[in-house]
Amino acid sequence: MLEDHFCASLAALVARGQLKTENKSEMEQTNPFYDFSIIYNKDDKVMRALLNELVELGYKTIAIEQSFDHSKKEPGKRGSEMFPEPHKIEHLRKEFQGKLRILQRLTILYVDVNVSHAMSVSLNLRKFNLIAGQPKTDAALTHCCTTFNGDLVTFDPVAGSRLLVNRKAYQIAVRRGMFFEIKYAPAIADSNNRKDMIKIAQNYCTKGKSKNIIFSSGAVHEFQLRGPYDVANLAFIFGLSEDQGKNAVDRNCRQLFLKAESRRLGKTIMFVRGNGPIVFSDSSEAEDDHEMEDLQTELNETSENNQPNKRLKVH
Amino acid sequence: MVRIKNRYIAVQIVPYTPTNTLRINDHTLSKCLLQNVEKYHGVYGLGLIENGFRVKYCNDRTKTAIIRCLHRGQKFISSVLPLITLIGDVRAKFRTLYIGATIIQCNKFIIKHQKQFLDKAMGQMASAKERQDLFKRVMEFDMDR
Repeated sequence: MLEDHFCASLAALVARGQLKTENKSEMEQTNPFYDFSIIYNKDDKVMRALLNELVELGYKTIAIEQSFDHSKKEPGKRGSEMFPEPHKIEHLRKEFQGKLRILQRLTILYVDVNVSHAMSVSLNLRKFNLIAGQPKTDAALTHCCTTFNGDLVTFDPVAGSRLLVNRKAYQIAVRRGMFFEIKYAPAIADSNNRKDMIKIAQNYCTKGKSKNIIFSSGAVHEFQLRGPYDVANLAFIFGLSEDQGKNAVDRNCRQLFLKAESRRLGKTIMFVRGNGPIVFSDSSEAEDDHEMEDLQTELNETSENNQPNKRLKVH
Repeated sequence: MVRIKNRYIAVQIVPYTPTNTLRINDHTLSKCLLQNVEKYHGVYGLGLIENGFRVKYCNDRTKTAIIRCLHRGQKFISSVLPLITLIGDVRAKFRTLYIGATIIQCNKFIIKHQKQFLDKAMGQMASAKERQDLFKRVMEFDMDR
């Protein structure tokens, strides 16, 4: 019934020439190379400098990171929203349209397993493209690998956490399609962090042949950014092979993105997006946006309108 | 007959504060690189790459350089490049542009890259004299080092 209704409304829209259908392989187009950890800065000037450098270096898809410490929240507030809203970056998105695809990512620092309940009821989490977990204890790390409902496992590079993943948890995480992140910017800045990052990375190598690894920057200043090929070359130090190093900035990130999208949307076969009617006059972008909004409301209306009609037909 | 395999790495030097020229010659560059290889890979790494290592070309105007090394030791240099933050006494980083097996291919790439640089820089120049001067300085090649 529901499917019928969906198909009917879809067909109606396609017939009116307002929709462009895309199959899944083209859904949510992203281009290499990827950098999934640019730390958010309130100052737009810093942010702009970072993004300009990223464009210059040849990145096409990036994620702005926002951290959230779950363990610091008092346990009294149950059931309510715990996670923050994503930062407003619409103006940056508009500015870098066509050059960069900007995603948003939330990193959850946590100690105990209560976090999974908070995550299941949260609505704000859906607004983020990627969700990463940063465990603080050994138990949390095992939980993170086995049951955590996110996409990415990361480590605190500055405090030099002494956590090392064990073989079984790593294998399970790989089977679940979780990815592990290695940040290179702290490794460039300080030799102690460098040692820690190398230790963590080599641990992945010994425990499970460095599967499902991605490299990201974690940069706060544009001087800490490196080009994608330079980053791939770092694979040698981190114990990955040449191929794995290249995939860590390219293919694995794409897979991670697709996994995150599927977590956000549920099971998806087809992705439909309104493309807007063709406008011949030289309309500015603002007007375009209004049209998109109009179209979207129209979409909603038509789908609502179609429902009763369809019911009539079926019964 | 055994052929000695070389690798030529074309790099760009990106300084911390944007400047027009860098005071870097090939000597300081090679010294910096060797020091860093020793820092990260120890004596073993240094011994592996020292034979056959040479900075073939260094242009401080466009901030590009070509480094030659043996095929076997290439990994040791390319993995160190992103970790360097200080060249000589200038705060700068490296950006790998191209890795080739012959210097001709590297040359081709650098010329292409420099032409792009010229297109950008020419617009900012005022007089024709300056323009010619810049063109000369950017496109100069003396590879017989």
